[in-house]
Amino acid sequence: MALILLPLVFSLVAWFIPSNITRIYGLIASAAALVVSSVAVCYFEPSEHLLIDFGLRFVRFSIDSLGFTMILLTNAVFFLVFLSNFKRSITNEKRFTALALLMQFGLLGVFTTNTILGFYIFWELTLLPIFLILYWFGSFDKPRALLQFFLYTLLGSLAMLLSVIGLMHATNQQTYEALLAADLSSLGNTSIFLMGGFLLAFAVKIPLFPFHTWQAETYTKAPTAGTMLLSAIMLKMALFGLLKWVLPIFDGVATDFWRWPIITLGIIGVVYGAVVAIRQQDLKTLFAYASLSHLGLIAAALMLNNFDTNQIAVVQIVNHSIVSIGLFLAAGIIEQRLGTRELGQLGGIAKVAPRFAFWFAVLTFVSLSVPFTAGFIGEFFLIKALFSANALTGFLASTTLVLGAVYMLKAYQAPMFGPTINATFEDLHWSEIAVFAILSIAAIYLGLAPQCLTDFVAHSLTQPTH
Amino acid sequence: MDSIVILFISGLLGLFVGMQKKPLFSIIIASLGLIGAGVAAYFKGSYVSPFASYAAFIPTQSLVIILLCAVTLLALLGGYKRYKSDDEHTGDYFALILFSVCGAIIMAQPNDLMLFFIGLEILSIPIYVLVGIEKGSSRSAEAAVKYFFTGSFASAILLFGIGLLYGVTGSFQIIEIQSNLAIGIWQSPMAIVGSLFLLAGFTFKIGAVPFHFWGPDVYDGASNSVLMYMSTVVKIAGIYAIVNVFGQVFRDSYAFWIDLICIIIVLSMFYGYITAWKQTSFRRLIAYSSIANAGLMLFALADIHNSNIFLFVTAYAVATIAMVVVNFAVNDSTDSLANWEGIAWRNPVVGVALVLALFSLAGIPPFAGFFGKFSLLWSAAPHVPYTAILALIASVIGAFVYLRLMISALKKPKVTMPIHLSFEQVLVLVLTSLTTLGALYFI
Repeated sequence: MALILLPLVFSLVAWFIPSNITRIYGLIASAAALVVSSVAVCYFEPSEHLLIDFGLRFVRFSIDSLGFTMILLTNAVFFLVFLSNFKRSITNEKRFTALALLMQFGLLGVFTTNTILGFYIFWELTLLPIFLILYWFGSFDKPRALLQFFLYTLLGSLAMLLSVIGLMHATNQQTYEALLAADLSSLGNTSIFLMGGFLLAFAVKIPLFPFHTWQAETYTKAPTAGTMLLSAIMLKMALFGLLKWVLPIFDGVATDFWRWPIITLGIIGVVYGAVVAIRQQDLKTLFAYASLSHLGLIAAALMLNNFDTNQIAVVQIVNHSIVSIGLFLAAGIIEQRLGTRELGQLGGIAKVAPRFAFWFAVLTFVSLSVPFTAGFIGEFFLIKALFSANALTGFLASTTLVLGAVYMLKAYQAPMFGPTINATFEDLHWSEIAVFAILSIAAIYLGLAPQCLTDFVAHSLTQPTH
Repeated sequence: MDSIVILFISGLLGLFVGMQKKPLFSIIIASLGLIGAGVAAYFKGSYVSPFASYAAFIPTQSLVIILLCAVTLLALLGGYKRYKSDDEHTGDYFALILFSVCGAIIMAQPNDLMLFFIGLEILSIPIYVLVGIEKGSSRSAEAAVKYFFTGSFASAILLFGIGLLYGVTGSFQIIEIQSNLAIGIWQSPMAIVGSLFLLAGFTFKIGAVPFHFWGPDVYDGASNSVLMYMSTVVKIAGIYAIVNVFGQVFRDSYAFWIDLICIIIVLSMFYGYITAWKQTSFRRLIAYSSIANAGLMLFALADIHNSNIFLFVTAYAVATIAMVVVNFAVNDSTDSLANWEGIAWRNPVVGVALVLALFSLAGIPPFAGFFGKFSLLWSAAPHVPYTAILALIASVIGAFVYLRLMISALKKPKVTMPIHLSFEQVLVLVLTSLTTLGALYFI
């Protein structure tokens, strides 16, 4: 129970904390949540479910091994966000701390709830804090860009709400297990529409190719902490929803119908995101398109709904969180120290800030999926799965490796080793080094021993029937 | 029935107390009357009312009475500051409102069309007077006259419809009308025209398209305190009346009417939200928002047998009252949304209450508005799936209307002077916020 409710309590308390210790409070609160979940995972038997029931009608919780993975990921991400922004003014704001912790509560709800309506409620609950965080701390000149983000998200969410209602009516069930057992084959085409509603919501969140237009601008204008939250954990809600809820429940006609459209969109996103990223001059925009490219690959591979691929997809989900925290932190550091993110105005940072150059390099390699990092395991097996499904998609997906190298090295090389433009650059603070170190260790550990994660989540992934 | 008697007596008492020109006494009498009526409705089941024989005419559900009394109480307290300033007439205003609630209670759950019509008139006539409460303002007078003429016109049409239905079926009793219509005569032109007139009268009362045109002008001319009352209680009573009358009368011709009702729903929602988008006047925005919400409420007709609009109307009413109270505190004489910039920072109570109210109206979980919308769509979606999809698209536009308002309210304020709220306004805002959050209980 404390697993889920702790952030909510912390969030409420945060309003009453004196402002001079707010940043320490945020760090301690997120660390506490992380410690509690780590301890809980030690006592957790992977093949079982941890049921949590508050006696509510529509919302119940049940944590399986996939849920625990996501809880740990969420808590770790929030801890790292607070840690990495320790020297920034944003963590000194009560409003940010309280809202971020509220969002953490919403995310934990999404990852642990056992009822379909609960999934929707928590999904929407996360929208509220991120809206306020972006609005208060972002640099949106006009509300238009922010509203665009919300137009897309709300449209997707409401389509999902309709599907949730339809699904509950059609099956007369609401819990995960009951929905899995329910036979949707009698629904025929209706199940295609129901799944379409979910997919629309997910496609906006992930984002998939034609729905991605909110992404670059929102990422660029958001504060660094907000971008990290959006990209490292909020988008994972959609992949999680696909993996845990939609694919197993709609296994059959609907999944077959949507498989190739979604894979196509995902692959378009992979190539398109990478090509656009190469042309970008703004670091954050570049990383935003890189994210589009990486997530398109995961979404495409998930649609294969293959037991082994799904395990690897979890590794890749974790890896993407690691990469996006690291890269957006690097972009944030550059922006904070130099006041610009334009590649043309950066150069020679490695000379004045060797420690930053080193850790940025490590993260760049993680993002490039060199062997012995988690990204290698993830991308290699996902592309392999796509190859065995269709050679052309596999080929197109594998361009991510080449194109990824182009834009990542471009983003790294010019600012670090180019002609010296930036003569002064304050090197890393201990909190930033800590974040980079944790991320690198996690990525390398997962790259060397991915089976510890894949075996753990395998318990809760359902074996497809066909 | 006891509730009506209690309200009526406290209204009369209020008239006498009002002669003392002590607003505090008047509000106490009125509040006690409303609370007493609510309590009487609550305990209705446990004792035999002396009016039991009359009550047979009005099978009122206690929940609706309690809701109407509670919302009226909130509206009274929220607008007290305005009523107080005119201490010559405070007692009169309160008496008018209490009489009007009597009408709302009679109207909300009728089983006899004649009685329903009487209730409707008891509800409406005091409001014609209340709209003209700003005696110095020509806009207020204009609004009152406009409302009076259009309102009486609508009443006449409604009465005509009732008359035609009487002509076809030979009864005012809703059950009898239903059973007579059921044997096939609902297809006769007279019955169809009668039902159409009935529907037109109803749509006028709740302000749905195509009989919405009076709304913005009247809301604009009415004072904030009256707006609180008329934008909530009238709608609640109206929608309950529609559900109860139509639920019976149209039970067998459901398939025939539902298309028309769906058109009304979709038009109301799109018209209301799209027009609300560009408003610069708060009261007009509330008017258009209420048109859209009236459309949403009509979803209750899509599934007559187990419609559940209680949660939705409660959420709508408390959120609207909270917004009007905030507007009342900000805009004393003007009515411009420009004054809303940064108000959330000028008083913490205002900030919290406003954010909750706007999120609730936008239908974002876990606030009351979401659960209201959910329970409406939950029963309606299987019957009218395409209308539900269109309604959701309209809701996105609606969410933007409210989010735009919130963005403006959360801006860094130009004026940092704190907003002063009187005690009863704080009380109302706290109560509305608690109700909006209280929906969590329904999860």
